Amino acid sequence: MELTKNITLGVYLPGETSIHRLDPRTKIIAAAILITLLLFIKSYQPYGLFMLFTIAVIIASGIPISYALCGLKPMLPVLVLMWFFQLFLYSAPEAEVIVSWWIFSATDAGLHMGNLITLRVFFLFTIITILTLTTSIVSLTDGLESLLKPLRMIGIPSQELVMTMIIALRFVLILAEELDKIIKAQMARGVAFDRGNFIQKTRNLFPVFLPLFINAFKRAEELIVAMEARSYTGGKGRTKMKTLHMGRVDRSAGVVIMLFTGLIVYIILSVNPQI
Amino acid sequence: MNPLIEVIDLTYSYQAGSDDEFRALKGVFLQVWPGEMLAITGQNGSGKSTLARHFNGLLTPQSGSVLVEGLSIADKKNTAAIRKLVGMVFQNPDNQLVSSIVEEDIAFGPENLGLPPAEIRKRVDWALDTLNLQHLRKVSPSGLSEGQKQLVAIAGVLAMKPKCIILDEPTAHLDPRGKREVLENIMRLNREEGITIILLTHFMNEVVHCDQMVVMEQGEIKLRGTPYAVFRQKEIILELGLDLPIAAQLATGLRQKGFKIPEDIIHTEELVDCLCQLK
Ligand SMILES: Nc1ncnc2c1ncn2[C@@H]1O[C@H](COP(=O)(O)OP(=O)(O)OP(=O)(O)O)[C@@H](O)[C@H]1O
Ligand SMILES: [Mg+2]
Repeated sequence: MELTKNITLGVYLPGETSIHRLDPRTKIIAAAILITLLLFIKSYQPYGLFMLFTIAVIIASGIPISYALCGLKPMLPVLVLMWFFQLFLYSAPEAEVIVSWWIFSATDAGLHMGNLITLRVFFLFTIITILTLTTSIVSLTDGLESLLKPLRMIGIPSQELVMTMIIALRFVLILAEELDKIIKAQMARGVAFDRGNFIQKTRNLFPVFLPLFINAFKRAEELIVAMEARSYTGGKGRTKMKTLHMGRVDRSAGVVIMLFTGLIVYIILSVNPQI
Repeated sequence: MNPLIEVIDLTYSYQAGSDDEFRALKGVFLQVWPGEMLAITGQNGSGKSTLARHFNGLLTPQSGSVLVEGLSIADKKNTAAIRKLVGMVFQNPDNQLVSSIVEEDIAFGPENLGLPPAEIRKRVDWALDTLNLQHLRKVSPSGLSEGQKQLVAIAGVLAMKPKCIILDEPTAHLDPRGKREVLENIMRLNREEGITIILLTHFMNEVVHCDQMVVMEQGEIKLRGTPYAVFRQKEIILELGLDLPIAAQLATGLRQKGFKIPEDIIHTEELVDCLCQLK
């Protein structure tokens, strides 16, 4: 059970593809547009197109598709749970019942809603994963900081905010590493994490949580001390080695995103003219 | 010549004032000279890290004083200047790397100093060259060996062009090869770049490569001198819970068996030379 291998959030895969070379601001804005689009898709046809587009981006960024998807594994139970919730709890007038059991009944409307929401979360996760896999922590934060700059005029400390994000992202990874170590140590002592049903598995995990958080916090504290020792004082007076620069790749990406958005909107409108 | 770092009657207690107050430093005097390579050694909990954290203002003295190039560490106005002069590398490389690309991580320190981008780039290049890490510049540290990660951490400090680098057990997490690589590079920074090195370590075969050494026990400095002078005091060394370097142990054993081996052997090469001359 190699947990860190299943965590793709916050991991960066270095590369030289055009997706890697995009200005982080372009990538962040593109991701924001795609996520917004997701909120408006209520039928399957646009999702088909979305899927093709996502696969194309993954291929263009040189990330193995299996790797991009394995980050989803820890999320799987949540996705399935959400699907069931919608299936049984969503109801609409005139919905046709497909299965019913005890006090629960699943309607076709519930099925549709479950599918849509699951797809939405799936794509949301995939978009964010692609963003972090192709953008290093520093350029991600540089991009965010530059986009959030207007906020500083109204007194919001965007630099500190962004540095906090760096630490948080690193913390997720540290947490995963610690969990991995502790699980291995417990398994060596004979605790079987990989056997039993869901409840037994969860109960086996219980005693590891305290040491997990203690270790993770200790390590995060060390990270902050190390940053301090390297003259970090909260972002004031900081300069950047890589200055952000939008170029031809960014313009082409902009065109691609606009075309894609137009196409999706067109499909949404022609499938569901009432929106 | 003035000392680079001067510690005068420094005391420090954790949880000062409470019931479980712990006196980690009890009146330490120490001078660190420019260009020297100083080892600080001593048992677990003897106060090495606590002392070292006073050298760059991560801790401030509760009594006594610490001066770095004459600047008092107690004065918060000096902190920025002192952090620029004195860099620090920690034990676990995973807890000190900030970015997910090597060159960006190395740039982190110079960026904090507010240098212009071209200058930052120059320094990153120089640090990568100096530690022979050019081929790793674009990779992600998470894929590197522990030894390489530690070299990246050292490069990150080096790029700030400090006069002094403190290394707090930098090899404790590393395999033998990583240990050797890191030690060799530290020695090179000292000999070729003239950077003052303060090496906190439990490994006597690292200590023997230093010009000077200090042995701490329970918050006090018990011995100070060249490794030759200090390791001559065998009984005291053992009493302080430390070992002799392997070569010195072997030399002692051989001497007891009646071989004519001179005193003052701490390096393996010295012992080898000596044994070859016996024939
Ligand atoms: N944050 C803290 N709170 C309370 N006590 C502490 C703290 N940090 C260190 N100590 C105690 O202070 C003493 C000196 O610690 P220090 O870390 O300086 O020792 P060290 O010589 O570096 O040891 P090691 O070889 O284990 O790194 C130890 O007994 C330790 O338990
Ligand atoms: Mg220590």
